[in-house]
Amino acid sequence: MGRWQAPAALAGCTVWYFCTLLLSAPPEANKTEERTGTIDRHLFGQMQAEGVVPAPKTSDFEFLRRATLDLTGRIPASGDLLRFVADPSPRKRQDIVEKLLNSPEWVDKWTMYFGDLFRNTARTSQVVRGNQGRNAFYRWIRDSLAANKPYQRMAADLIAAQGANSWEQGQINWLAGGIVTGGPQQDTWDQQAANIAETFLGVGHMNCILCHNGRGHLESLSLWGKSATRLQAWGMASFLSHSQVVRRLTDSGQSYFEMMDVQLFQTDYALNTTSGNRPARHLIGTRMHVAPVYPFSGGGPQPGENYRAALAREVTSDFQFARAIVNYIWREFFVRGIVEPANQFDPARLDPDNPPAEPGWTLQPSNARLLNDLAREFIENGYNLKWLMRQIVNSDAYQLSSRYPGEWNPAWEKLFARKLVRRLWAEEIHDAIVVSSNVLPSYDVRGFTEFGFPRVSFAMQFPDPVNTPDGNGPISKFLNAFLRGDRQENQRKPDGCLPLALNLMNDSFVMTRIRAAGDSLLAQHLARPDEELVSHLFLAVLSRNPTEAEKTTALNHLKAGAETRSQRAENLLWSLYNKVDFFFNY
Amino acid sequence: MQAFFARPHYTRRYFFRIAGGVTASFLAARPGPAQVTTAASVITQNKAKNVIFILLAGAPSHTDTFDLKEVPGVTPPELEPTTISGIRWPAGILPKLGQQIPEIAIVRSMRAWALVHSLAQTWTQIGRNPTAALGSVAPNIGSIVAIEKEKERTPSQVFPTFLALNSDGAAGRGYLPAIYEPVKVIPSTGGIANTTHPDGLARFDDRWRLLRELDGPLRGNSPLGHQPEDYESFYEAARGLMYHPAVDSAFKFTAEDSARYGGTAFGNACLVARQVLAANQGTRFIQITLCGWDMHENIYTRLPALSKTLDDGLATLLKELKSSGLLQETLVVAVGEFGRTVGRLSVIHGRDHYLQQSCIFAGAGIKGGRAIGATDETGGASVEYGWARERDIRVEDVEATIYSALGINWTTVRHDDPFGRGFEYVPFSSQDLYGPVNELWS
Repeated sequence: MGRWQAPAALAGCTVWYFCTLLLSAPPEANKTEERTGTIDRHLFGQMQAEGVVPAPKTSDFEFLRRATLDLTGRIPASGDLLRFVADPSPRKRQDIVEKLLNSPEWVDKWTMYFGDLFRNTARTSQVVRGNQGRNAFYRWIRDSLAANKPYQRMAADLIAAQGANSWEQGQINWLAGGIVTGGPQQDTWDQQAANIAETFLGVGHMNCILCHNGRGHLESLSLWGKSATRLQAWGMASFLSHSQVVRRLTDSGQSYFEMMDVQLFQTDYALNTTSGNRPARHLIGTRMHVAPVYPFSGGGPQPGENYRAALAREVTSDFQFARAIVNYIWREFFVRGIVEPANQFDPARLDPDNPPAEPGWTLQPSNARLLNDLAREFIENGYNLKWLMRQIVNSDAYQLSSRYPGEWNPAWEKLFARKLVRRLWAEEIHDAIVVSSNVLPSYDVRGFTEFGFPRVSFAMQFPDPVNTPDGNGPISKFLNAFLRGDRQENQRKPDGCLPLALNLMNDSFVMTRIRAAGDSLLAQHLARPDEELVSHLFLAVLSRNPTEAEKTTALNHLKAGAETRSQRAENLLWSLYNKVDFFFNY
Repeated sequence: MQAFFARPHYTRRYFFRIAGGVTASFLAARPGPAQVTTAASVITQNKAKNVIFILLAGAPSHTDTFDLKEVPGVTPPELEPTTISGIRWPAGILPKLGQQIPEIAIVRSMRAWALVHSLAQTWTQIGRNPTAALGSVAPNIGSIVAIEKEKERTPSQVFPTFLALNSDGAAGRGYLPAIYEPVKVIPSTGGIANTTHPDGLARFDDRWRLLRELDGPLRGNSPLGHQPEDYESFYEAARGLMYHPAVDSAFKFTAEDSARYGGTAFGNACLVARQVLAANQGTRFIQITLCGWDMHENIYTRLPALSKTLDDGLATLLKELKSSGLLQETLVVAVGEFGRTVGRLSVIHGRDHYLQQSCIFAGAGIKGGRAIGATDETGGASVEYGWARERDIRVEDVEATIYSALGINWTTVRHDDPFGRGFEYVPFSSQDLYGPVNELWS
């Protein structure tokens, strides 16, 4: 506890009022109390061992906004927020988490998330799934999540996907995403293997090893990778070598995919290429083919077993499979992974009971026992994504304040000694403006609504982030300013950028929602006395009460000036939409 | 108002001491200016004020463009191989650039490191192996130029130092502060969207003041950590662009202007690049990306159209930079992430990925009308390196050349990287592994 700075040092500082926000929530996390639960036991144990004092526990206001955004991508409605804060139940946080996990908005958000992870788009430079293929894959992800399908089954269904028509069997579209044109079949199998390794094992370096041995390339990056060989990677790709994603044409000439097995008529992965997208594949001695061998277990297909089914079995029974998804999901809530980057796992540096012996190498996870225990429990609980999120959001560690009342050391980020903040996704910003302003759009999403999907009001319900909903129209451009990515080369980014500021300050999407018109937020509350008006706007937009300083500023602004009161209220609402605590989750 | 780009990032806190009253003194101070050392004292060319860096994404076939090799029965007559100033040139598909050859030096002894598009494209933009130790945090070359040239900005300049046109996928600022991020713009006739406020300037000013008052405490020395603080710079930069006459004059253009550059997105980017440099509003590094060179299939049916796009845009850019005098102080570089297979075509009439490649340079006093280095008769490997280091020229050498042209010591090491290893502007500077191609100027 030696590093704790007495709160007396806060006196007179400009952030004092944020501390006042915390007065209703005593800094429980600073008590030396027994931590229960895997996450808290490991994280607080690590902090204690390193002599780091955690931030205090966050307030009810902040907790509800944080958890609602992280679980559902929405901000809480004012009424729900006030009811939650007033609720005296000691279980109210667990109870609301349950409600959020079972809400339709949870399905919306995680459908977008897994759509990103599985890179579902209508077209890439290599693959045309078409709107119908994209929609089918979207529906498959959505249905899987709505049914809370065990993640192991989701993964197995994708890796071993079967079906004659990618417009109907949505899961075919995942392996179709590995199609590589302008080269031999092996390029596609390689890419599919690389995608499986990155998506389901977090081992992105497989992609490197599919071109060349790790030696001479991965020495400074991966203890596993530096001695991994191209032959091993081919062993993984060979599981795909009896599969073919065949392009078919409809009567009207549109293309879709069939997932074909060519088990009987084809040899294993052949070493006979000299052109294409990866270096030549030459015979090894007299060896012409590579048999399927899962590089992390040495296992292969059983007699008569479909190769893809065998690969699905190997991958999803690999402990790394659980570690990878636990870490991916962890990252969405804690903002940084236990292993970071989350797609660059080093399989040789994960076991705390068997740390790397080679000098210069340390365990890769910031808390290897936590990751292993959580992954183990995730398996024991049936690969249940909701179970995992429940453990995370109900942990004390997740519920720490993002403000640190003492001197902060950036090295403590990986200890999770305070809640790390994140900028909201494009869709979250859009939807938060919609919800708070109560001005609902109704989008006809191109390539989606005309295929029988409903019109939507929320960006989180779009089938993908690629120029939806209006082609490259005004709403699309507004959303693109927040770097929502295209699920190809451009991944979704949490970074700031200049267009974000221009758009939040001036775009008509925002401007039309600061007016007092119809049933809008401002129209509903404009007639109230100034103080109530301020309070309602803060609650609706920022999910909190104003501080004393903010209240004074807001009231002064509403009282005086050349503009009408309605215009001055618009100014206030505009300012709230441009505040960093609006577009951050903190 | 002082434009934000003009201020070093570490002074933001002082701004808030004034604007926000007393600052929380117990909060950790953000790092001050980085300690910067150099591995060697070098003589830089120091002849360029600006750089236009054109990434030919997808990797153009060098033997059909800048290192033309006529393959009997393969090279189609439409390429019209012609000798200009002693250089074999495909005048049929790059006629206008052919006329600019006196301005252009072609580096032909260049070799890439990797054959995967995304990896090699990032490599080209950050001047190092993206999978190496500091690769994951390495800034775009343009971000390094931005941090180096920031001190030369004047208070009235409002454009970002690093502008990326048609480059949504451009490598970012790496570990450097937010203001060195490339500002990404897709040029359109209407200029930059949302640079005026729908309710007018007076209302905007009122709102801006209110926002500053309400949000100042979260943006300066933010209790929420450094990320929200970055938005102070983005908002300031955005404010600087709003209602600024230079924004419209540099970023808007007419259909006639566009037509002069070929009427393509690439042409528009070249046009805007020229206008932005002419505006002299602080932009020093402009990246432009031209995609589509990945021609595995039917290369000769696809090459003419894309070459015309390049030809119309780049040749007009060089011509107009020259006539306005800007070419003297602007280094123009165009390069792909690697080359394409040489000799005969593949069975599907294309060319696949290949390490040998070419890079073209113009402006900033380089001597044009010639090639540096030469390849064998197929174009598959260098036979003459054409520069002092007597080896293949690498993208790290191109990076060093850019820094040298701008007067930046390419052996600089910044000691502010998150791993504490020291970030070398050009990797392995301490071992003198890479260096500028000074022969461009001699």
